[in-house]
Amino acid sequence: MGLRWFHFALWGGLIAGMFLLPQVVSNGTLRTMIFANYLAIFAISWDVLSGRTGYVSFGHPFLIGIGAYTTAILTKRFDIPVEISIPVAVVFTMIAGLLVLLPALRIRGSYFALVTLAFMELLYQLVQVIRPDLTGGTRGMSGIQTLTRGAANGYYLSTALMLAIAVSMWLLMKTRLGTALSAIGMNEESVRGSGLSTTRLKAFAFLTSAMIAGLGGAFYVHYLGSLAPRALFDINFLFTIIVAALLGGTSTIIGPMIGAFFMTFLLEYLRPVLPGAERYFVYGAIALLLYMYQPKGIVELVKRGFKNLSKGRTA
Amino acid sequence: MLQILIQGLLLSGLYALIAMGFTLIFSIGRVLNLAYGAYLMVGGYIYFWVSQSLGMPKLIGVAVAAALGVLMGVLKYRLIVKTLKGDHVAVEISTLILAVVIQAGIVLVFGDSSKILLPIVPGVINVAGASVTFNILIATLISWAILLGLYAFVRLTHTGRAMQAVSMDAKGAAISGIDPDRINLITWGISGALGAIGGVFFASYTQLSPSMWVAPLIISVAVVIVGGIGSILGTLVVAHIVGFLEVIVVATLAPELRGVFTMLLIIGVLITRPQGLFGREEL
Amino acid sequence: MSAALQVSGLVKRFGGLVATNDLSFSLNEGESLGLIGPNGAGKTTVFSQIMGELRQNSGTIELFGKEISALSTPQRIRAGVSRTYQIPRPFGDMSVAENIRVGLMPDDIRRMIFSPPDTERERELALSVGFSEEDLDRTPTELAMGDLRKLEMARTMATAPKVMLLDEVFAGLTTGEIAQISDLIQSMRKDGMTFLIVSHDLPALEPLIDRAIAIERGTMIAEGSFSDVMNDKAVQASYLGGA
Ligand SMILES: Nc1ncnc2c1ncn2[C@@H]1O[C@H](COP(=O)(O)OP(=O)(O)O)[C@@H](O)[C@H]1O
Ligand SMILES: [Mg+2]
Repeated sequence: MGLRWFHFALWGGLIAGMFLLPQVVSNGTLRTMIFANYLAIFAISWDVLSGRTGYVSFGHPFLIGIGAYTTAILTKRFDIPVEISIPVAVVFTMIAGLLVLLPALRIRGSYFALVTLAFMELLYQLVQVIRPDLTGGTRGMSGIQTLTRGAANGYYLSTALMLAIAVSMWLLMKTRLGTALSAIGMNEESVRGSGLSTTRLKAFAFLTSAMIAGLGGAFYVHYLGSLAPRALFDINFLFTIIVAALLGGTSTIIGPMIGAFFMTFLLEYLRPVLPGAERYFVYGAIALLLYMYQPKGIVELVKRGFKNLSKGRTA
Repeated sequence: MLQILIQGLLLSGLYALIAMGFTLIFSIGRVLNLAYGAYLMVGGYIYFWVSQSLGMPKLIGVAVAAALGVLMGVLKYRLIVKTLKGDHVAVEISTLILAVVIQAGIVLVFGDSSKILLPIVPGVINVAGASVTFNILIATLISWAILLGLYAFVRLTHTGRAMQAVSMDAKGAAISGIDPDRINLITWGISGALGAIGGVFFASYTQLSPSMWVAPLIISVAVVIVGGIGSILGTLVVAHIVGFLEVIVVATLAPELRGVFTMLLIIGVLITRPQGLFGREEL
Repeated sequence: MSAALQVSGLVKRFGGLVATNDLSFSLNEGESLGLIGPNGAGKTTVFSQIMGELRQNSGTIELFGKEISALSTPQRIRAGVSRTYQIPRPFGDMSVAENIRVGLMPDDIRRMIFSPPDTERERELALSVGFSEEDLDRTPTELAMGDLRKLEMARTMATAPKVMLLDEVFAGLTTGEIAQISDLIQSMRKDGMTFLIVSHDLPALEPLIDRAIAIERGTMIAEGSFSDVMNDKAVQASYLGGA
């Protein structure tokens, strides 16, 4: 499937709509959307790696955390301007991505997922004990420089970042590279048997995923202004990322975006009913059921709906 | 030195108990049950509710926890594992989601704050300058008893041998008249019970909290990975490696680093020897 | 002139089992060689070693005079040898055209990104193995065994091999499909393709090959023209005993 005019029309409509939104909605809703934007970035990052190549990462907070900690430490402890610290954070995250690639050269499936989980736990424990004067130890860090002031500006920045990532990933995944990465997820041996070096392709996927995670993590920490290890290297956080990608629809770009917004707003609307962590009960139950009965996610449901509609019309 | 030895033995016994149920599922069905840590948590909380809130005898508390563990195991096999028909990654993702759901359920019922379990067996004894609570001593003894019992069960009973057969070659076992579905169901049940009982002791060793399931899950994962496909003996050996590593690190380096080497062990072994230290053994 | 493919003293052990036992044969450019033997004789294992999916314990494999044992599978494919699999392994969620696209891709990420897919060549390959225009958009789950084998052929041809290894090409095919694939192989032979073909369907294999070798338990037991090999006592004994 090549590029068509309506693809650009849809993206254009989405971009215009998202940038006009602050004119009509409340600041509270905007704050929720900021979270949805960052979650969408993380879910896209997860999907580039896990949704495509089938190397399921249970350690994405590890990558996000490297990005967030690097820029937080550089700006707060060493007074380095964000123009430098964020790119450095992205580079560090990509190096960390290569670290995660190492086991993926030999193992896949369950074992790979577990190594990445171990990476996350390892970093969680290490930031608390190694140089707490830099990392803030168990308590984390606060008073980190923020990039924007006010909900609307935070929204514009996060939306611009998210859409820039989404559109460039969408363009990238439309090329033969996207086909090759998806092929790895379906049958890695056959990709090698078709003459492609899967190591190089996987390295590319890991680096791209890490780059997005690093960008997202760095901007996110400069939005929050603080960072706490328990909230970052947390299975609930990991779970939110994975579920957003899965529910929306893996191996697509719009899927993780839809999933992120769906999940964020679901959590938000549950807040009055279930104020604490219990919200995850409903949220998780919905996620579990949806995943078990439609593993291809919301995008697939919508596609089928359209198919049935057009079938009904032609019949 | 002696203190490290004693503490290492005790902690390792507890870890062997915790990891056993996880290993069992992995060797029979080749699935990683990431909700296993949640069994432990539910076991601990149910025991707390029955014995401390309701004031029933402790033994009943353990029995109720074990029964609920069986139920959870069986339900999970029926509703999730069978539905997803051998798609391992899907099972793992589903069990991870389930773990989060159970965690949220615990918060809903018991609240967010952590709870202290009274020792199951009160009392302290002094061995060579190390004070050892009866609680962990009993946990270790029970752990050994359960492991021996399980070993005997797998080796000597008809069902146990059928489990061995399924673990080695599910298709072959099916051809020779074993119903793998029934064996799987039994295994998930046993695993649930082991998890719940392990959870009671683990909770009395640390404390009850809605996030307590992660650490024992990681320990179980480490044991399975480092030991290779779960053999009962391999589990025992690796539980001791992990247990002693932790005790030694706490005693000589820093208590905060206790988990770091377990993590490094997992990563190191998976990268260099994906088949585990002991390879693919039978059950 | 060096042979297109020259295998010398190949040995592969799986634990105690010797799956390939001191096997040597050579294949001239443009020649078609049949590899026959009962189930479990080690035919597929030979293919896997030539492709580098399994490493031999000893022996050498030369492609156009160049030793390829140290190369990875993708490198060997670029050097000009490619295989089909006994059990087709398509990309399950991709269309026929996309499956072939993967075979056509250059092993170069920059070109994957910046140059568009050659849909014309995809179509050409699909049609040449007997797919119809409508089949291009179908996914492997909708295809029958015969179609999957055709797809396997097309994806292998897409890698532009000079030597093709075909594993059990006719298994699971109808007579019509066998004729279709046979025609395809014949026309490629005319164009100078070199083949090594494994098949249990000996009547279908016979017209496609210039020569045959027979192996049993990893060891070569006969070599020569198809009829010489079929009349060989050891071959007859192994087929009666093995089948
Ligand atoms: N990866 C492997 N590990 C162990 N044994 C193998 C492996 N692959 C094949 N074998 C054994 O090697 C022998 C040859 O197998 P194969 O090459 O598939 O035979 P064929 O293709 O001639 O039917 C068989 O006995 C088979 O069981
Ligand atoms: Mg074969």
